[in-house]
Amino acid sequence: MVTFIVFSLKRAWQGFWRNALMSIAATATMVLMLMLLAGFWIIQTGLLAGLQFTEQKVEVVAYLQPNATDSQVAKLKSTLEAMPQVAGATVVTRDEALTRFQESMKAQGREDLTQYLDINPLFASIEVKLVDPSSVRVVGDAMRNEPIVRNVINIEDLVDRVLTVTSILRTAGTVVLLVVGVIVLFIIVNTIRLAVFARAEEIEIMRLVGASDAFIRWPFVFEGAFVGFLGAVITLVVLAVAADPIGGFMVEFFRVLPIQVGTLTRDLVTLVMGAGVGLGILGSWLSVRTYLIR
Amino acid sequence: MATVVATAPLAESPVTIAPAPSTARSIRRRILERGRDQAVPDRAVLVLHDVSKQYPNGKLALRDVDLVVPEGDFVFLVGPSGAGKSTLIKLIIRDEVASHGEVVLDGQDLARLARRHVPRMRRKIGIIFQDFKLLPTKTVWENVAFALEVTGYPRRQIPPAVDRVLAIVGLTAQARQTPNQLSGGEQQRTAIARALVHDPRLIIADEPTGNLDPLISWEILQLLLRINELGVTVLMATHNAEVVTALRKRVVALEEGRIIRDEVGGAYHRED
Repeated sequence: MVTFIVFSLKRAWQGFWRNALMSIAATATMVLMLMLLAGFWIIQTGLLAGLQFTEQKVEVVAYLQPNATDSQVAKLKSTLEAMPQVAGATVVTRDEALTRFQESMKAQGREDLTQYLDINPLFASIEVKLVDPSSVRVVGDAMRNEPIVRNVINIEDLVDRVLTVTSILRTAGTVVLLVVGVIVLFIIVNTIRLAVFARAEEIEIMRLVGASDAFIRWPFVFEGAFVGFLGAVITLVVLAVAADPIGGFMVEFFRVLPIQVGTLTRDLVTLVMGAGVGLGILGSWLSVRTYLIR
Repeated sequence: MATVVATAPLAESPVTIAPAPSTARSIRRRILERGRDQAVPDRAVLVLHDVSKQYPNGKLALRDVDLVVPEGDFVFLVGPSGAGKSTLIKLIIRDEVASHGEVVLDGQDLARLARRHVPRMRRKIGIIFQDFKLLPTKTVWENVAFALEVTGYPRRQIPPAVDRVLAIVGLTAQARQTPNQLSGGEQQRTAIARALVHDPRLIIADEPTGNLDPLISWEILQLLLRINELGVTVLMATHNAEVVTALRKRVVALEEGRIIRDEVGGAYHRED
């Protein structure tokens, strides 16, 4: 068994270098295809993060009756927080509302009109963040039924429209990524098929001298895996080199998005490595198979 | 006329065939052991019984072929192109399966042989082609060793086995050269060495002299005869009438898929 693996690896290595032109062509194709795949995957990740960011902005705000007691408000808050659709609830007191208003006027460079007032005209409110923006109706209705709630800002129609757009974008992104994936699959498998085809005579000789299928297949499979591995490494090196200038340009954009660079990198390495090695193996396996089935 | 041409190169052949007592002994020992182990009285290497082959396109390549090749025989397979010689060879190496009848190699019915046992069976056959089928990127030595490597032969036993067959075919000095540095005859001898390295029971030579000039053809023939003397059965398909007629070996003639003649000591053409 060990002899067999050593033999296969040695033959794969020889096969790669003794047919250098074909191997380089296959590796180059592999690199281009993996870059295409990685590029689209990064775009898709950014798109999903952007959509998630947009959806997280959905917040149901309820204004409270001025005569509501603190305990009533606290009870409402805990009731809302107990709902499975609710991610979190924040109570904004009248004083806080006033401070916020003043800060926002100041930030916009406008005059603080509240200084002319003797009393605070603003209502206290409770702001509810949702786990899933599609449950906006359920949460909104639940709050409307509370006696201490004065009114709930009606954002249902707006949320519906946003959700329609985000779901279309999500589906479109996934479809494009899948199409690119299929294109990459076919091109890589076909390139490897050509590389194997160029060595049809070698396979024929192996069959004629009585080599078993495993001895014919595995060197090619290892070679395909090696082409995939090499292609993936080159792709990742190119991406790492390109990441700094591109990242510097986009870092402000990405900072607001819920993307973790560590996770993104890890997933990208997994994707490129997996696709490279996996498709290399698949391509070799399928290509050699056509010569073995007789 | 043919006899003159035949005997002259035979007598003063430029090929020096190194003595190879080890191979000779191993083959003879194997024959003796087989005789003891197997209860088959006639030790036929190859038996074709009532074999027909029809290709999926409807072409009937062989019809009702009966052929028995005993151990140690030297058989010429002759016939015009398209007579079925190649199909017959494909059936013997189980590249194709007979549509009807039995092809029995070394006591094994090839039609009933499971696919995974085919490679092991093929190691009992050494095949030689008109176009040599050598790997251009490998040296003579590596081309021969390749046949052992890809069949999982123990690594330590490969060098002595390769050196031995290269000595038999007289290519020890050329071991480090690649095929494109060799003459046609040397390339064919490399192919013969590769065919021999598994210690086969049967050598199938498909037009082995088709690409070679007459003198070199005789060298190759002599080598095959020598191998035959060592106890290996040889089946050679050829169009080389001169060689066939001169050697007076067993001749099997095919025409339109049928055996029309099978005579010991025959000529290339019918002699009535």
